[in-house]
Amino acid sequence: MVRAALCAVLLAVIWLAASDTYKRLPGFYEDVIRVGVFSDSYWEVQNGYSYQILEDAISRFEEKHPGVRVEYVSGIIKEDYSEWLSEQIMKGTAPDVFFVLGEYFNDFVEAGVLKKLTPFIEGDPDFQPERYYTSAYEYGNYEGTQYALPYECAPKLMFVNKSILEREGLAMPGDHWTWDDFYRICSEVTKDTDGNGAIDQFGAVGYTWEDAFDSNGVTLFDERGRECYLTDEKAKAGISFIGKLDELNGGYSVSSREFALGNVAFQPMLFSEYRAYKSYPLSIKKYAGFEWDCLTMPAGPEGRNISRLDTLTLAMSESTVHGSQAWELMKFLTGDEEIQSEIFTYSEGVPVLREVVESEENQKFFSAAPDTGNVLSLSVLSDAVEQAVAVPRFHDYDSAVAEVDRAVRNILESSSNINMETIIQNRNINSYLKSKQ
Amino acid sequence: MEEERFPKFVLGMMKHLNMVIILYLTMVTVHSLRGYIFENSAMDFLVRAERMPMEPWKLPVLSAGLYLCLLLLLSVPCRSKTHFLLKTIMELAMVFVISYALNFSYTGLVFLIIADTMGYFSDMKQRIVLMASIFVVYMLMDYHLLSARYPMISMETCWAYYNRETQSLLLGLKNILNSLNMILFISYTIVLILTEVKEKERILGLNEKLNTANLELKLANEKLEEYARESEKAAETRERNRLAREIHDTLGHSLTGIITGIDACVMLVDIAPEATKEQLKAIANVARQGIKDVRRSVKALRPDALESLDLKSALIQMIEETRNSTGVEIDCEIRTRLKNFNKDEEDIIYRIVQESMTNAIRHGKADHIKIWIDREYNMLKIHIEDNGKGCGTIKKGFGLHHMEERLDMLNGTLSYCGDHGFTIDAGIPIRWGTEEDDD
Repeated sequence: MVRAALCAVLLAVIWLAASDTYKRLPGFYEDVIRVGVFSDSYWEVQNGYSYQILEDAISRFEEKHPGVRVEYVSGIIKEDYSEWLSEQIMKGTAPDVFFVLGEYFNDFVEAGVLKKLTPFIEGDPDFQPERYYTSAYEYGNYEGTQYALPYECAPKLMFVNKSILEREGLAMPGDHWTWDDFYRICSEVTKDTDGNGAIDQFGAVGYTWEDAFDSNGVTLFDERGRECYLTDEKAKAGISFIGKLDELNGGYSVSSREFALGNVAFQPMLFSEYRAYKSYPLSIKKYAGFEWDCLTMPAGPEGRNISRLDTLTLAMSESTVHGSQAWELMKFLTGDEEIQSEIFTYSEGVPVLREVVESEENQKFFSAAPDTGNVLSLSVLSDAVEQAVAVPRFHDYDSAVAEVDRAVRNILESSSNINMETIIQNRNINSYLKSKQ
Repeated sequence: MEEERFPKFVLGMMKHLNMVIILYLTMVTVHSLRGYIFENSAMDFLVRAERMPMEPWKLPVLSAGLYLCLLLLLSVPCRSKTHFLLKTIMELAMVFVISYALNFSYTGLVFLIIADTMGYFSDMKQRIVLMASIFVVYMLMDYHLLSARYPMISMETCWAYYNRETQSLLLGLKNILNSLNMILFISYTIVLILTEVKEKERILGLNEKLNTANLELKLANEKLEEYARESEKAAETRERNRLAREIHDTLGHSLTGIITGIDACVMLVDIAPEATKEQLKAIANVARQGIKDVRRSVKALRPDALESLDLKSALIQMIEETRNSTGVEIDCEIRTRLKNFNKDEEDIIYRIVQESMTNAIRHGKADHIKIWIDREYNMLKIHIEDNGKGCGTIKKGFGLHHMEERLDMLNGTLSYCGDHGFTIDAGIPIRWGTEEDDD
């Protein structure tokens, strides 16, 4: 009897320790929410306002929720951030709320690091997911479950070397330009300008099959990543288009350095780069010697002028004991209008709230940019974000993409019929996907 | 005794070994996890593991702590079947959680449960059913089987932290420990079964002994029954003899008196008719007494005088009656009180005196008899002599024979001599007495 009682007591203690329940007990409980954040910009550009938005948010959040303290560890650069976060997770000291870099989102979800947000979303009548851009909101979704909320995003845009177009006497394309316009301009600018026999002015660099697929309405995989639809006519059209563009260069492999040197007419880049190098207050003249601007992506015959969206998301740790407070903080950081509009001020991304992007204040802010000739209106930007393609989320998505990349290269390099080759490659990818399940 | 303890000893060894295994696996895993953290390859590990590992400090707390719980639970005795079932399910649950903490890299704990539960059943059928069901649990607790459904980190992924050589060594040691556990389990099973076989043999041997004893007892019983029958027969014979003796003693005595008296009357009738009349009256009295005696014998087989009088008075009355009926001169001297004899003893004393007088008158034709009764130490002495013709060779008649038989029954003595008249000396041990009682 004594032994049975001792056993029960020991079991209770182990349960308290192992299930983290002890953290809720008086004496262990702390009303502190820890936030995982990195010091530099998500958008690969330097700015001096690393913690500005977070600091503002914390002071206002603490005001609204007296007794709750929000802490973060400063000084972790983006490059080390995922490693730091992983170490914290492994040590059991994961922050309650943390930013998730896009490339690791799937890994974190699959490792069970992120808490499912469904119960919070369903239990909170104040929460309105429709305020977010659909594509940005979908970014935090994995196989139908919401794991993160969007914090800031950036769509892919087409950078244009205006100087080349002017020199060649070509008009700047409009926001609703198409593949045909794109191809026409590319073919016209691709030439040997110094007459040495080698092509030294090119149409486009960095335009990939992914860009072509997105703008031609291709759904590459089914929802769970069990099947690939590379044989779809839209996809084949995309591949053919990429092949046609490549042919213009006559076998020369163009690098993005050529664009920086002013020898290329188009390069797709993220909106954040446009913000970093073009507009106030961060106008750094990275691309000297030529005039440039950006456009939406060209639309394919079956698609629209849309592209992929990169999004920085905010997630909750699976092991947090401050669930509801963490949820409030997440909602505040991603859904508060003032905080979100600070993204335009202190960061290079786009706020994830439609009402913030389209507000008159921000319209004025953009118009106030000294560099006139800004062709990108905020409504166009807002549409680009809204209609952006949501990245599919399934187990091992990245390696599936790598497979498709290899397949597309094979198809383009193959001398045989594109239809035959796509069927073969599609079969290869599907068998790869099957092997991964 | 030594053999009975041996399975317990092996089980104890198993318990210790499992503790060592759990600590070993836990420590190496914790070390490798910490290694990943210190060497800044936590992200790589998470990506490869596809699962969040347990916090390093929780691993030993959960596995070793639960193992201690398991040991405690194993030592709790079971009172009923429900109790046992509940306990086994709880034990299996603990084993499952411990194995889960160890990423199902080690599931040998199940054998500990099997070994322990086997001790509760001696019935082979139940044991096999139990073992089979636990084995099913064991087979289901396989990393590859479970990880297909529930993502888990394999022990190999954690241990991949070490270089190939160290990894081989660590895994080798793990396999050795695992094999040791299996060896202990198998030995336990064998030892347990052997011990039970021996125990069964011992019980069989005991059973055989019991059967033999039973058989002997049966024989003895039969003998006893036979003996009882014989003894009943003997009692019957004895009773018959006693009856014959009674008849001889009472009726014989009376008839002898009557015959002697009538003989005397025949001689007297012409000489002294008055005396004859008196004599005849005395004879009639004897005859009446005889009748009474016979009646009494039939009724209780006991001298009537003894029924109503004490021994001494009965003796005196009998002597007086004999004197009167036969005209024989009888001197009687009783020097001790004849109290505290039981009825058998009183009977015998009475009969000895009666028989001796009858014999003296009938066979010895004596006309003078001396009777002397006294006590010598713890013996009652009866001395009777007559002046009859005695006899050269004594033919033990029915009377003398019975006298001896009766005295034998009381451990008494009897001696007689037929040289000058006839003398009888009888001795009867006095059970009750001291001299004081006597006075």
